[in-house]
Amino acid sequence: MSATPSIPAAASSMPALSGMPTTVPPPAPGAPLAKDALLALVQERFPGAVRDAADAWDLTIIVSADQLRDAVLFLRDDRRLQMAMLLDIAGIDYLAYPGHRRARFAVVYLFKSLVHGHRVKLKVEVDEEAPELPSIHDLYKIADWSERETWDQIGVVFRGHPNLKRLLNHHEFIGHPLRKDYPCQKRQKLSVNDPMLDQLELRLRQLGYSVLSEGQITSMPTRGLPGAIDGAGDRGQLDPDLRQGSNAGADQRGVL
Amino acid sequence: MKVLTPQGDHLELLTVNMGPSHPATHGTLRIFTALDGETVVAAMCEMGYLHRGFEKMSEQGTYTMVLPFTDRLNYCSAMMNNIGFCKAVEKMFAVTVPERCVVLRVILSELSRIIDHLVCVGANLVDLGALTNFWYFFNPRESVYKIWEKLCGARLTNTVTRIGGFYRDTYPGFEDDVRKVLVEIEGAIKDVRGLIEHNKIFLDRTRDVCVVSKEDAISWGWTGPCLRASGVDHDLRKQEPYYGYETYNFDTVIGSTGDTYDRIMVRIFEMLESASIVRQALDRFKPGPLNTADARLSLPDRNRVYHDMEALINSFKLIYEGVRPPPGECYDATEAANGELGYLIVSDGGTNPYRIKVRPPCFTQFAAFGPMIEGTMVADAFGSLGSINIIAGELDR
Repeated sequence: MSATPSIPAAASSMPALSGMPTTVPPPAPGAPLAKDALLALVQERFPGAVRDAADAWDLTIIVSADQLRDAVLFLRDDRRLQMAMLLDIAGIDYLAYPGHRRARFAVVYLFKSLVHGHRVKLKVEVDEEAPELPSIHDLYKIADWSERETWDQIGVVFRGHPNLKRLLNHHEFIGHPLRKDYPCQKRQKLSVNDPMLDQLELRLRQLGYSVLSEGQITSMPTRGLPGAIDGAGDRGQLDPDLRQGSNAGADQRGVL
Repeated sequence: MKVLTPQGDHLELLTVNMGPSHPATHGTLRIFTALDGETVVAAMCEMGYLHRGFEKMSEQGTYTMVLPFTDRLNYCSAMMNNIGFCKAVEKMFAVTVPERCVVLRVILSELSRIIDHLVCVGANLVDLGALTNFWYFFNPRESVYKIWEKLCGARLTNTVTRIGGFYRDTYPGFEDDVRKVLVEIEGAIKDVRGLIEHNKIFLDRTRDVCVVSKEDAISWGWTGPCLRASGVDHDLRKQEPYYGYETYNFDTVIGSTGDTYDRIMVRIFEMLESASIVRQALDRFKPGPLNTADARLSLPDRNRVYHDMEALINSFKLIYEGVRPPPGECYDATEAANGELGYLIVSDGGTNPYRIKVRPPCFTQFAAFGPMIEGTMVADAFGSLGSINIIAGELDR
C-alpha cells in the first residue's frame, strides 16, 4: 500500500484517454480514489451528474436515465475507475418519504472496482408515469437477474431486457410488493407453476439452437400443466378473499 | 423437444424439471433443463420458493425488530447476518462499538464462517456420494451449536447482537469452550482431507468440472469463497478491513482454476484461517464494556432506570420506539461466509426503516448456475450446486 511515490510515474507512463482532459492522475492499482476525485471524474464526462446528498456516508452519483448506459460503460471501462463488478441493483419507492419532491422511484446501482478498491453508487430517478430504464444486461452478466428482481419488486421496466420475468414472486402475482402503496397484508391466490418452457426455448436460441417442436414436458406436476388452472383449491373453499378470484383479496387487513 | 443444433444436426432433447423439492437442491430451487442423454444442453433456474418478503416486512417494524429477520437470511451462519446488519446501522449513527464487542463479533463471525463452510462442504460431499465426511464435520458443528446455546439460549437463529453491542455478555468458561471446539474442528478437517485429497473418485468428479473463469466470476458479481476459487484475490477483511481485521495474521485462500474442486478446497482452507483468527481474537478478548455508551442506541443500566428519571425515559423511548438513524441512504457490507453481505438502508429519520435492500451473496452465484452447468453431466451439475453454497433463505429473502 506504500505506493504513493509511484503514482506520478504511473500517471506519466499511461497514454491519455482519447482527447479527454485529465484533471485527476490515475491511481496506482490498489489505491482507491477519494470520493471527491471520483465525483470529479464522473462530472467531467457527464456535467449533469450530481452527488446525492442523501448518501452522507459514501458516494452516490445521480445521473439521468438517458445517460445511464454511457455512465455505466464509463465506470466499467475507464482505466482510472475499472468498476468491473456490479454488486447489486436496488429500487426505492419514495411515495411515503417525508418531504420528497422529486421523482417517485429511484434505482440504485452499486459498483465496485476490484483493481482500485473504490465503490460508487449510481442513482437514476424514474418517473411514476413512465417507469422505464434502459437495460444493462449486456454490460454485466448479473444485471439480467438483478433487473428482473427490481422489475418484480418495484415495477421499473428495463427496456431491452430479453427475459423480464418475475424472479422472487410467483409469475401470477399482480402488482409490485415493495411499492409503498402495496398493502403489506394483501393476499393473492397463486396456484399454477410456471412451465418455463418459453424460457428454456429462449435459452436454447441464445445458444444457437433452433427449436423445431416443443414435444412433451416431463416431470411436471399435473397442476402445473397449462390448462390445469382450477378455480378454487382447498384453501379457496375456506378463505373468502381467495374465493372471489385470484386477485380479489385486495383489502388491507391492517398493518403489523 | 426436437431442435436443430448450431452445426445443423437434428437432435431430440429431453426436458427435465429438477426441484424445487429435491434433496440435491439443498433447499427450494428449481432447475429446468434440456438434456441430450446425460449432458445438460440448456438450463434455466427459478427461485422464490422461500420468498418471505423480508424487505417488505422490515419496513413494518423498528430496526431492532428487523434483527430476528436477518437470522433467517443465511441460517447456516445466522450470527454473521446479525453482525452485518448492526454494523450497517451503527455506521449510520457513526458509532464505534467498544473493543470487547468488536473482538467478540470477530470470534462469533469466524466461528459462524467455520460452521457455514462445514455444512457446505459436508453436504456437497454427500452429493458426490461421500457420506462419512458429513458426520466428521457435523460433530464439531454440533459443539459450536452447544456454545451458541450456552451463549444465548438459541441454536440456529440466535439474534445475539444488538445495535450498539450485544444481547448479553459471554458465560464463564466461554473461552475454554471455544478453544476446545477449535481443536475439534481442526481434527475433523484433517480427517476429511485424509479421505478426499487423494481420492480418485473425488478428484475425477470435481477437477475441471463447472469451471468459472476469473472474468466470468467478476461479471456475475461473485464474491467470497467462490470468487476466490476462480483466482481473484478479493476479501473484504483484507481489502476493506473492518473490526480490526487488518491487525490479524491470516491468509486469503485463492484457487487457480475455478472448478468445483477449488471451491471446496478454498472453503476447507479458509476454515483453518478462521480458526487461527479466532485464536488470535481470544488472546485479545479482555474484560471491559460490551455495549456502546451512546444513549441513542444502548439501554441504560437497570439500576439507573429505577432511580433516575432521564434513564427511565431513555429506556422507555428505546424499548417502545427504538433507534432513529439520521435520514439518508447508507450501504454497508461485511464479508459473510458466502461473500459480500450488504445492507442498503434508507432511513427517513423515523423509527422504522424506510427501505432495506439486502445484497445476498448467493443471489449472484445462483444467477450464474444455469450457464455454468451447460455442457456438463447432470450428476456433476448437482455436485457443483453444492459447491456454490446456495442458501435459499438469503437467496429468496
